[in-house]
Amino acid sequence: MINDDPGARDLVAIALRSFREAILPVVPADQRFTALMIANALGTAERELAACTGAEPALAAAVGDLLGETGDLPTLLPRLCAAIDAGRFDAPDRQSDLRAVLKDITLARLAVSNPKRLSAERREPGR
Amino acid sequence: MSGGGKAGLAPNQKAALESWLTGQAGARSVTVIDEGRLSGGAISLNLAVTLEIDGGPQSGRHPCVLRTGSASGVSASLGKAEEAAVLRAVFAAGATVPEPLFVGADPAMLGAPFYIMRRATGVAAGFRIVKNEEPRRELARELGRQLGLIHRVRPGTEGLEFLTRPEPTAALQAVGDFRRWAGRYAASDPVLAYGLRWLERNAVPAGDLVLCHRDYRTGNYMVDDAIGGGRLTAIIDWEFAGWSDPMEDLGWFCAACWRFGRNDREAGGIADRADLYAGYEETAGRVVNPVAVAYWEAAACMRWAVIAIQQADRHISGTEPSLELALTGRMLPEIEMDLLRHLDAVEAAP
Repeated sequence: MINDDPGARDLVAIALRSFREAILPVVPADQRFTALMIANALGTAERELAACTGAEPALAAAVGDLLGETGDLPTLLPRLCAAIDAGRFDAPDRQSDLRAVLKDITLARLAVSNPKRLSAERREPGR
Repeated sequence: MSGGGKAGLAPNQKAALESWLTGQAGARSVTVIDEGRLSGGAISLNLAVTLEIDGGPQSGRHPCVLRTGSASGVSASLGKAEEAAVLRAVFAAGATVPEPLFVGADPAMLGAPFYIMRRATGVAAGFRIVKNEEPRRELARELGRQLGLIHRVRPGTEGLEFLTRPEPTAALQAVGDFRRWAGRYAASDPVLAYGLRWLERNAVPAGDLVLCHRDYRTGNYMVDDAIGGGRLTAIIDWEFAGWSDPMEDLGWFCAACWRFGRNDREAGGIADRADLYAGYEETAGRVVNPVAVAYWEAAACMRWAVIAIQQADRHISGTEPSLELALTGRMLPEIEMDLLRHLDAVEAAP
């Protein structure tokens, strides 16, 4: 398929901006919750489309270190799950290594789904 | 809860309901005034109705809530007739809950079973409840006392035979349920895999078995600020109730995900744990076990995570397309971060 310009990320970004500037201020009170959810959904979609895969190799390397394997994240994460299920991370020191990597993965997901929470995490780790 | 939403009853439903209620109430006539949908509740539908009962023992005007199921539920939720039976039992135990008045178990009338209960005054919205300069210590204490009363309802109570006992223990039943509900996600999301493993390996031993609310948290009780500086008027949303370890409800109440941004007030964003625990010990007839509460707080994060997965699935599967349900799926990372932070704290404890 030929993708015409502007692309999906650009379209979602400008749709969100127009929605925030022109629609949100005049939305009646009983529709405000829905309107805010729409802005939230568009914002998440925009960030997901924009998310450079820049963080992924570092996360994949960290997961790979835990497992003693190499690969990309979509390959390694199911293997990590299987290793957890098999008890390979039951020892307390292995658990704390695991939690550190799991937190990094979760922070990367928060950057897309909830940047507000991400900055709170960065301000006061452990809150 | 606030009214003013769109009407919920079709004219033929309203007529059928009025005729049925007339018989149930032993009245000459019953008029149902439909005051629209109430906010809150992704699983249930709540309608504000006022019943004008003419004749019979309940003759008079009764502001009520009609509560019915939505198109699809999550695995853990009770049917509405069962929920009404639970409400009846805790009302009889003296807890501050809306009195259930009429139970319509026949799905033919409104499309799904429903019940009608008295309408409490006040607000439930969590972000409003926690918005208070000073901690709401008396409210937390009262919520502890209420939980103690609820936990006096034990297996064997008449009318609650449909509730199954957890097997082999409350903790292992819970983690087994979570694993089932997480489905394929437990094989691809390592935070879920780790949380499930941790809950299995650290499961608390079987203790007392009591009626747990299982969604006892800020957001699910109503407070009327017009009465006595903010009085508790009702504990609501009983659809997840079941037999379990009493510490489960305390863990759920204190879990990080239910503090509405007030992380400095560990009891539901309103006060310290000490206030909640003190109230609980006044009425429950048992002491709080902080180790078990910490376990159930981890379980709370996991439970909320798998419920979020199920909510999102209701949307993804096409059963119930909904922006709110879709966005609930995207809450998973913050829920999982709460779980990881909590496990850090538990593992660091002496």
